[in-house]
Amino acid sequence: MTLQVIDNATCTFCGCVCDDIQLHHDEMRIYKAKKACVLGTAWFLNHTAEKKYPDALIDGKEATVEEAIQMAATLLHEADMPLVYGMSNTTCEAQKECVAMADQLGALLDSHTSL
Amino acid sequence: MYWGGNPAECHPRHFTKYTLMQKSKFLPRGRKDRTMVLVDIRETKSAKASDIFLQVRPGKDFELITILRAMIKEQHVGDEQIAETGMTREVLDDLVHRMKSCKFGCFFFGMGLSMTRGKHMNSAALLTLAAEMNAFTKFVAMPMRGHGNVTGADVIMRWQTGYPFGITFNRGYPRYNPGEFSTVDVLVRGDCDAAFIIGADPGATMPQPAIEHLKRIPTICLDPHVTHTSNLARVHITTAPQGIAAPGTAYRMDELPLPLKPALKSPYPSDEEVVRRINAAIAEKPFWLAEGSQPQMITNQV
Repeated sequence: MTLQVIDNATCTFCGCVCDDIQLHHDEMRIYKAKKACVLGTAWFLNHTAEKKYPDALIDGKEATVEEAIQMAATLLHEADMPLVYGMSNTTCEAQKECVAMADQLGALLDSHTSL
Repeated sequence: MYWGGNPAECHPRHFTKYTLMQKSKFLPRGRKDRTMVLVDIRETKSAKASDIFLQVRPGKDFELITILRAMIKEQHVGDEQIAETGMTREVLDDLVHRMKSCKFGCFFFGMGLSMTRGKHMNSAALLTLAAEMNAFTKFVAMPMRGHGNVTGADVIMRWQTGYPFGITFNRGYPRYNPGEFSTVDVLVRGDCDAAFIIGADPGATMPQPAIEHLKRIPTICLDPHVTHTSNLARVHITTAPQGIAAPGTAYRMDELPLPLKPALKSPYPSDEEVVRRINAAIAEKPFWLAEGSQPQMITNQV
């Protein structure tokens, strides 16, 4: 089996965001992460494309993504003072959507920085 | 100068890739042209990489920074004040001389400084010291960011709202006040009545009273794994992990944006897609402020 190779991949485990990693993968699993440190290697090799978790959970029960999205929107809209928090392990594109959400809701908005 | 951080174990490639080993036009001999100082309360693995290791007494960082601020301006500092921080006058005189005579100094400060006694006052003092050092030479300060794209969160919030964190939109426009609007304080006081958590696991990292409040209110959690937070949340949505199965952009801790190159095809949607769909679902509901009471936008004024 030949593996696909990605040169100069970006590791987002820590704030260093090293962008010189070589990944050997078969779209399901990464087998090798050259140049990555111990933390980065663990980060790349421990994630797979397998379906390990349910798509979504509502009150601990499995649900579809659409149901969970509607439920989330209802709960957030009903709240008087919602909080949007986190945004560390996600992309800038998603972070921008989170800011839009806080603006739309009149919510609190905060990241790990304040911890 | 690394202050209150352990890059050898937490950011293993920081020395080799960014700060110590690289050869450059002005530092052709790499490591030999640089001096590394480590300030910490215990001798970690990073101490081996340092030229000078200063073991500060726990909780005395603010005092040590204040003494350094006085010493660079040649103001009087008492021996007992220096002894209180666990330092000696000779060591600090040598340090101040080295700081003033270097061409370009950089402070990297970690949670050992910003999370211990004094908290943000410590960070503020170190930033002031770095600013004041610019009277003598070029000096900057940079926080050692732990999680992947937390720098990106700062940058995006600054771009969109004008503030980096600790923001509220509850008057319809962004206001900034850490301590009042920062998450730990909001949760411990029990101010908020719903929480949307993305790319974080406060259920594992926050103090117990904050976790108790997250259990009381409806919490929504987006994460590639079922985490502690997912287990106490009303709604959990599994998303594709960034940089591995989800594309996008991430900021390095020196605020350089880098594109992600995902290798895997995840069966889950990306964070971006899910948040956008939740936003669209919220937009279909009536706006939270009554008609006519929305804040007046500048563009609408005559």
